[in-house]
Amino acid sequence: MENYGLDLHCSMLLDDYRELLPTLHQLEKVVADTLNGIVSDNGIYINAIEHRIKAEKSLAGKLELKGHKYNSIDDITDLLGARVITFYSDEVDKIAALVGKQFIVDWNNSIDKRKMHELDSFGYNSLHFICKVPKELYFNPEFPKLNDIRFEIQMRTAMQHVWATMYHDTGYKSGVEIPKEYLRNLNRLAGMLELADEQFSIIRTEINDYRRRVQNLVSTGEFEQVILDGDSFKSYLKLNPFDALNRKIAATNQAEIMPTSLIPYLEVLKRFHFNTLGDIEKMIKEEGDSAYQLAVYQLGNTDIDIISSSVALQNLILAKIIRSGSGEPFVKLFYDTLYGESDYNQERARRIIEDAKKLGILK
Amino acid sequence: MDVTIKKEGAQTLVTLVGRLDTTNADQFQKDITPLMQDENPDIVLDCTDMEYTSSQGLRMFLLLQKSVSSRGGKMVMTNMKSQVKEVFDITGFSNIIKIL
Repeated sequence: MENYGLDLHCSMLLDDYRELLPTLHQLEKVVADTLNGIVSDNGIYINAIEHRIKAEKSLAGKLELKGHKYNSIDDITDLLGARVITFYSDEVDKIAALVGKQFIVDWNNSIDKRKMHELDSFGYNSLHFICKVPKELYFNPEFPKLNDIRFEIQMRTAMQHVWATMYHDTGYKSGVEIPKEYLRNLNRLAGMLELADEQFSIIRTEINDYRRRVQNLVSTGEFEQVILDGDSFKSYLKLNPFDALNRKIAATNQAEIMPTSLIPYLEVLKRFHFNTLGDIEKMIKEEGDSAYQLAVYQLGNTDIDIISSSVALQNLILAKIIRSGSGEPFVKLFYDTLYGESDYNQERARRIIEDAKKLGILK
Repeated sequence: MDVTIKKEGAQTLVTLVGRLDTTNADQFQKDITPLMQDENPDIVLDCTDMEYTSSQGLRMFLLLQKSVSSRGGKMVMTNMKSQVKEVFDITGFSNIIKIL
């Protein structure tokens, strides 16, 4: 076994580390499982969870530099390290609170580097907890020392992680080693990323507020006030606004209705200048009869007894286009938007207009 | 309905010829059953010479599509004649199945 030229004290610490390795591997598994559980149980969407056991060579290097600081292997708190990388800065605090509940945190040795900066300085931002596994969380008599080992959990955002990784890549271990001009640039970058983190959190909060407002307006039926977009359309579809017409159409052929996503129709609705959910409601009221006639005319000539749940909306939009007098080019535009451009769409548009004329739908 | 199944690299090319209706839907289901257990789920259905599909046919395509999707694959139907495409359009199946 290599002793890396260490003195007797450090060589003994290294031997203790080797002896501890099976326990460290088991501890790594417990910590990783617990962190993954924290994230999934609480529905937190994170960037990554990383963990590693300190490599023997790396430990030997550390002991060579400052082995005299450690009385025993238990004094080294980064033999096992784990890292949770979040997308948003407020989630670092959420993860930290949950980590505090699951593990025993050694508060005297844990550091919130986010609070260590002076008002006029920027740099490494991360939360480091020194923890132990409580016996209530995990105990295995095969690994009696597992609950005594201290390990480190770092919590930071993806932005902070990028900065820390780039900093680490410079090869300098601390700020004092870096030439001043490069340190200034690295710190400027840290300030920029801190601002970006803050903005991402603000944007997310605002989007969530907007979604809640939209859901409220939709649930209270104030459709005229709701601008048509992806969020409002999804909320609106939860009210199943086209179900009645779909059932009426299906009844003609005693057809089964297969549910399908209507989200592709959002682009069509926007293309044809539907600006609010109120515009869709108006279409259902005004074009419902024509849409029914159109659908039944096409299906009535067949023995088809299965349709998709998009049939009502498809025929509503077609009826609106036709009755507004927009004609064949706009019917083709409808099909082009929905299925992509093709010559077939021209033929299909011509036939729909013919059908509409026969039915007296075309004004 | 004549069905030819051919492996083309990681995907399966299925050529459909003729009418798919109640008289041959059971046979068609038997023909496509092996595709639902295939290791490589990606399927291209060449409909150049398919003349017609009934509701039963639509159900079979839907079944195949669900099986392909559940295995993380993609299914596309290509070169449909206009009378067949029309059936997919009026039933809204063009919104369920990818047609090129």
